[in-house]
Amino acid sequence: MPKRKLDPLPSAAFQILLSLADQDLHGYGIMRQVAEQTGGGMRLGPGTLYSSIQSLLEAKFIEELDPSEDMKLGEERRRYYRLTSAGRKLARSEADRLADLLRVARSRKILRGDYV
Amino acid sequence: MSETIYAFLLRLFPSQFRETYGEEALQLFRDRARDETGLSSRARLWFDLLADLVISVPREYFYAEPELIAASGQHFGGTPSFYFLGDSAPRPGALLLGAVLSLVAALTFSSLLSQGGVHKPRNASARQLRQSAPPAHAARQVAGNKDSLAAGTNKTLSSASFEQGDSDDSMPAPINEAGASVAAPVGRGNLDAAERQLVVDAAITNLKQHYVYPDRAQKIAETLLAHKKRGEYDAIADGDTFAHQLTKQMRDVSHDMHLELVYSRDPLPPQPTEEQTPEKLARYREAMKQINCAFEKVETLPHNIGYLKLNFFPDRSECEQTVTAAMVSLNNADALIIDLRDNRGGMPNMVALLASYLFDHPEYFYNPRENTTQESWTHSPVPGNKLADKPVYVLTSSRTISGAEQFCYNLKMLKRATLIGETTGGAAHAGVWHRIDDHFGMGIPETKPINPYAASDWADTGVEPDVKVSVPDALEAAVKLAQTKLQKK
Repeated sequence: MPKRKLDPLPSAAFQILLSLADQDLHGYGIMRQVAEQTGGGMRLGPGTLYSSIQSLLEAKFIEELDPSEDMKLGEERRRYYRLTSAGRKLARSEADRLADLLRVARSRKILRGDYV
Repeated sequence: MSETIYAFLLRLFPSQFRETYGEEALQLFRDRARDETGLSSRARLWFDLLADLVISVPREYFYAEPELIAASGQHFGGTPSFYFLGDSAPRPGALLLGAVLSLVAALTFSSLLSQGGVHKPRNASARQLRQSAPPAHAARQVAGNKDSLAAGTNKTLSSASFEQGDSDDSMPAPINEAGASVAAPVGRGNLDAAERQLVVDAAITNLKQHYVYPDRAQKIAETLLAHKKRGEYDAIADGDTFAHQLTKQMRDVSHDMHLELVYSRDPLPPQPTEEQTPEKLARYREAMKQINCAFEKVETLPHNIGYLKLNFFPDRSECEQTVTAAMVSLNNADALIIDLRDNRGGMPNMVALLASYLFDHPEYFYNPRENTTQESWTHSPVPGNKLADKPVYVLTSSRTISGAEQFCYNLKMLKRATLIGETTGGAAHAGVWHRIDDHFGMGIPETKPINPYAASDWADTGVEPDVKVSVPDALEAAVKLAQTKLQKK
């Protein structure tokens, strides 16, 4: 399988990393979390969602939980995903990059006010 | 129900993706369908799913594809090998679908091929158009036929037009439709003694009757008869070869490049249309309107360089307004590029009209087909025109022929324009057309126009450009030259 590109990090992949920041989620859970954290702006369809999950898995930015752990969490049999330390690092560096971008935008007076 | 539909749509994904995530995707659909009820939510759900399919399916195939390439990379020196792309046999349904699709593709392809046979290039339609509706004072090309070969029915022209034919057969090109009523075509290679005799006799008769130089006609007649007597023609069974041989011999004697004998594999039209009916005129007018009188482009390029692309010279009486409008819109240009790379000739009156804008006094425009008349001069100066002293660049190609060559030739001789591109096609069409039989005809000059520049014009040789560049590069070259010139000012 050829490598899927994560550099530059697609926004869908970044949102998935963020959604897993403080909880393990299954696919649908990720989708809902992403929708929530973007104010409904990004609703990941199955194709995009699982394609992104697959590339993040391959790059070991997230990992799939053992089925046994699944069962402990109860509910139906679903695959749960968890952020790895590399994934956390990646999310942080991406956030830093965006923050830098934001500083530039503010200094160029693209943004009004001085939030962030 | 909707789950079944989505399950079906999921099959669009590559099998690898389906195997790994198909069940999860379906689960996700179930979850959303459960949580998002109500009409608008449902509509949004389906919109999301479809948009997702459109984006994801091609991407997944993009990722699935290179794997196959990688697999086929492991080849063992010439040993035929094949690869399994899936681990299960295709379903009967898939095989059936494949068979139907291949059948449809094969049928489409073969029907397209047969359609291709009747495809006519753009020039053909333009030529037909002129053939079906010659302008009011266009050439009346009268042809003789077998019965009236020497009967003197061939009329000379009062005014002449250039024919939009192909450069190789520079005489009027045969039109299949018009010749439909004529006998079956004589293929190459079966020219018989009777037809050779007929062609030589008719050529001599026509020359004696119509050639503007009777003394030369006599000499040619003697030469041809001598060749024939020596049996030089007996072995020629190919019409084209025969026509070329006779043309060469006529020219050797007369040194007149406008004399020409033409062979056409397709039957020549029995009698070119000479009557100008209101319907034909209306058709011509309508056609001119539709193609904007052959003005393909009129625009101002950067650095205020005017650009004009004209694909043939239409009749002045129908298109004068269009020319005026085009030239008015370019009137403030600092330089002018006239693109004749696709120009197949046309009416001399339009050649003179367009050229009128390039001079501040009437200039003589030599036309090998017309006696010198008032029409041989440009109508300069044109009131209000500011282009008379601006640099002019004319783009040419080997497809530039006939009337377009008259335009190029005169501008070059007058040193009024820089010609850029290829040598033009070399079709002077100076002779008047005389039909000999279904497959042979000849062009005979019947006028003595004055060529003030040289003994020869562009017949067969074409007009040489001042700057030789490949056709696609001509415009860029012209723009560069124009810019350099304008900067020097």
